Amino acid sequence: MRTIVIGLGNPLLTDDGLGIKAAALLRQRLGGDSKVDVMEAYTGGLDLMELMVGYGRAVVVDAVTTGHHRPGTLVELGLDDLLASRNSNSTHHTSLAVALETGKLLGLELPETVLFLGIEAGAANEFSEILTAPVRKTLPLLVEQVLTALADEVAP
Amino acid sequence: MKRISIDPITRLEGHGKIEIFLDEQGNVANAYFQVPELRGFEAFCVGRMAEDMPNITNRICGVCPEAHHLASTKALDQLFGLTPPPAARKLRELLYMAFFVTDHTTHFYALGGPDFIIGPDAPSTERNILGVIRKVGLDIGKQVIACRARNHAVIKKLGGRAIHPAAGLPGGWSQPLSEAGRKEIEQAARENIDFALFTLKIFHDIVLKNPAYLELVTSDLYLHRTYYMGTVDPVDRVNFYDGMIRVVDPEGEEFVKYTPADYYQHLAERVEPWTYLKFPYLKKVGWQGLTDGAKSGLYVASPLSRLNVADGMATPKAQEHYEELFATFAPGYTTKGRRKPIHHRLATHWARLIELLYAAEHMLALATDPEITSPEVRLISSGVKNREGVGSVEAPRGTLTHHYTTDANGVLTKVNMIVGTTNNYGPMAMSIKRAAEKLIQGGKIIEKGLLNRVEMAFRLYDPCLSCATHALPGEGPMEVVIRDANGLVVRTITRGRQP
Repeated sequence: MRTIVIGLGNPLLTDDGLGIKAAALLRQRLGGDSKVDVMEAYTGGLDLMELMVGYGRAVVVDAVTTGHHRPGTLVELGLDDLLASRNSNSTHHTSLAVALETGKLLGLELPETVLFLGIEAGAANEFSEILTAPVRKTLPLLVEQVLTALADEVAP
Repeated sequence: MKRISIDPITRLEGHGKIEIFLDEQGNVANAYFQVPELRGFEAFCVGRMAEDMPNITNRICGVCPEAHHLASTKALDQLFGLTPPPAARKLRELLYMAFFVTDHTTHFYALGGPDFIIGPDAPSTERNILGVIRKVGLDIGKQVIACRARNHAVIKKLGGRAIHPAAGLPGGWSQPLSEAGRKEIEQAARENIDFALFTLKIFHDIVLKNPAYLELVTSDLYLHRTYYMGTVDPVDRVNFYDGMIRVVDPEGEEFVKYTPADYYQHLAERVEPWTYLKFPYLKKVGWQGLTDGAKSGLYVASPLSRLNVADGMATPKAQEHYEELFATFAPGYTTKGRRKPIHHRLATHWARLIELLYAAEHMLALATDPEITSPEVRLISSGVKNREGVGSVEAPRGTLTHHYTTDANGVLTKVNMIVGTTNNYGPMAMSIKRAAEKLIQGGKIIEKGLLNRVEMAFRLYDPCLSCATHALPGEGPMEVVIRDANGLVVRTITRGRQP
């Protein structure tokens, strides 16, 4: 079963660009892996769910603003607390959780598990193409975490 | 003054907040959206090359990147002094129609429709696309997803990239359309027309045939007599891609018609101390605060307003439904013979579906136009000819304007944008106030339905403040905090987390 890794975010909004930068790094590292597709997206809800159709597993990377962690903290979210994810929910395209349930109800072939990894953002409401220092420092750790998760799947 | 806040529970930066202020008698004095600002977009753009803007601005929003891409590309046409070849214009429009079909479809089935299909007083956890599918059937749900998928494929084919198209160039479009591609798009357009007609039938069966809903839609709940704005073609029919900006007054007479580049002469922006977002209003009418009537310069730019300013639809089936809409609300005619506008805001949901049908029909006309496969899709630029360029399109949620100023080398020196939702910022606040007034009187607060009615008030505008900020409450949990005159919290009403 194929895996999709989706980096979410807006590359123009400082730490919100985390997912896009993570996707670029992961694409380099996973270049030879024919079972993994890497995508960038700046969208949520139904759009995001539709990207996952046909995959057995999905990993989503996004900046998060839980307000409970220091900027730069690596965070794993469950589908219940995706509100902290900056991009998975959309006022127009509904939340990812509702979208996934909708897709399953309609019989779409969707991943059984969605791993959601993020980093607590420092600044994500200001225009810049550069991550803040705490998020930049954690980015390599996040990339390793994704790779570890993918390796676990390959060798159960 | 007492204050009621509707806040997302999570303290997510970028989320808007609804505040309801009570007067000394405990009645609603005012209601506001408070929206945090995304700081410094202009500064971020100044110093960049103007031709990068279509690919920068299509990243400022995850909801309507296609609208920003086209408004930006049209601004570049002006800057570079190039008129795109006919095929390029048609390809842009073709992509845009596919976008409108998917955007309006999503709004009806996932956002606006649930209030009617599930019911305005149903728990919020059921008022979503899941609830709709459970009610209307799996087959319809599959059609919704199929509609989105085929139009996303069209956007990707024409725009060169999914979600954030990249094909717009000053003076044209980066790639022609092959005959094979054209055939696929023609087929998609035909399916879109069937789907739009079928969606209008659902609206008829579920909303218009239900006396309670028909009463709700035609009641004075959310009724505001404002000015209306929209883009019209040379014979004053609705156009999403290009034309003149027409404004009609609350009585339905044409107030002004101008080319988009002249927007600055007609619009002004009001800055209020409690929000970063600016309120646009008609300069020649003036600012009277958040109030309606002919003396208030507030205007609406929405599907309903586009139908209100136009004299009709450019496609036959959409025209039939347009006639039916106006026959149902029967606003009458002005002394000069123009149709009066419909002021009932909930009619916006119906207007949106008529636009869905128009987009589908126009998409078919474009896809079967012999010129659409012409290889002549771009002119080669020889640098900026004009120092200023204004590009405007109708975004699904209102008129979108991009305005760039550059130096002689095409380096941006100034950027100004009025995004679709921003036009409606004042009217949305009025609709929220109207909803709150029904449920808060003399200090007595009817909790049941308060959140739903307030949400319905802003949802009908299909607000998307992603361009100006990041997200609005609506899909997230919400909280009403009621404060006494001293600002102390006396009660909290919470809507639970949605799945």
